[in-house]
Amino acid sequence: MPNIITQLSDESFEAFLAHANASDVIDLRQVAFIDPYGMVGILEAGRMFSQKDTMKTLKLPVSDNVLKYLERMDFFKYAARFFQIDAGDDLLDRYSKSSYSDVLLEITPIEKSDDIHFIVGKVKERAHMILAKHLNYDEGAINGFIVALSEVCQNIIEHSGNTGFVGIQKYRFQKLEKNVVKIAVMDLGIGFRKSLGERFDIKDDIEAVDKALFHAVSRHEDEGRGHGLASVRRFVNKWNGKISIRSGSAKLAVVPEWSWGKKRETNLTYFPGAQINIMLPEI
Amino acid sequence: MISYDLYNFLKEELKNGSSDLVTRPSGQLIRERIEKDILKEDDGGVIALDFSKIGIIDYSCADEIVAKLMSRLLSNEYGEKYIILTGLNENQQENIEVALERKDLAVIAEKSGGKKFLLGSLNNYLRETLSLIVKSGKITARELADMVKIEANTSGTRLLNLHKKRLVMRRDEIREGARVWIYENL
Repeated sequence: MPNIITQLSDESFEAFLAHANASDVIDLRQVAFIDPYGMVGILEAGRMFSQKDTMKTLKLPVSDNVLKYLERMDFFKYAARFFQIDAGDDLLDRYSKSSYSDVLLEITPIEKSDDIHFIVGKVKERAHMILAKHLNYDEGAINGFIVALSEVCQNIIEHSGNTGFVGIQKYRFQKLEKNVVKIAVMDLGIGFRKSLGERFDIKDDIEAVDKALFHAVSRHEDEGRGHGLASVRRFVNKWNGKISIRSGSAKLAVVPEWSWGKKRETNLTYFPGAQINIMLPEI
Repeated sequence: MISYDLYNFLKEELKNGSSDLVTRPSGQLIRERIEKDILKEDDGGVIALDFSKIGIIDYSCADEIVAKLMSRLLSNEYGEKYIILTGLNENQQENIEVALERKDLAVIAEKSGGKKFLLGSLNNYLRETLSLIVKSGKITARELADMVKIEANTSGTRLLNLHKKRLVMRRDEIREGARVWIYENL
């Protein structure tokens, strides 16, 4: 019997995957909290199943707040492509978008270079409303945020050989009594090991992620390449944030003192592509 | 000086309404447009890449546009031309500098008031020499040797290296019956 899922974030992604792999019906009814990583993770899992000609059923959370949030993030716009949705017909009418939102970027597909121009433009429009107001970021930090976002999204187009999704949201982190912004970027591509394996002898997924994140290694020989993720890590470090990258069956994280979680995980359930989670606190 | 408005290039080449220089494919398109235009300019020309209407420039685009252009300029792919950057804001400066430093390159940039400064990577000797040229406007190897008390061949090498990096212009002049190289500010 699969476990009951009560929250969906990077911390519970493994439990979600086990549940999703084991059943034709993905039961999210008890979910009381979901973040961009959880949402994008559901979509990418659905996309992975649909690529294998399997369309699973998604039982939606019963919580009104969670449903409203999913709607604000444009989750349903994409979920219906990959899942049979088990919900009332009037779901979308009931949860029409609220005029106020702390969504920095709704779930957005990343398929081509133009999508990144769109993402950057959208985040620039809302950056002052959210990053300046809630994280106290100045112009330099906002610029760094947008550049990091651009670089992390570009990895999909440059290296994955596939497409992906990104979503960004501001939260109030009760434990810290601080605001945080969470960015989730995922794809179903070839993953770090296969990408870097074109140029290097890489023994496993953890080594591949380590090389990309900490050693600016790229499958391209040009000296100017391979700095994207390393520069994202430097930005996240500078603003005391957390970053984790899961690829294949491994996950590597940079965990600041205010946060928690394992720094290295191996032998996880295989999931294609890369799953990146970034969390930035108020300063 | 010939000015290339990068915002116009972006509008013409990308046609997506963006004012941001982001992503490597976009950078490649803009660089190719710049290269096409640079090749039509006369030798000795100074081309100013004007960033004043550009929003964000990310590291990939900074590498694809500025670092690759400078690298190819130094390999003489565009002939005897010079490139400077104008209209940069602080954030753009920072991101371009990172891209240049990774490839050990440098470029001259100009502030809105006309003051020139160096962006990127350059050793201390050449930096010192460049700042003397910026102050005096132009200099010969003999004048530099006298100023900093070094051998004339050493000063000549420093000036030549700055010219090879396209950070100063060079022209010849006949002085007292002999040809001398004059190195000038861009």
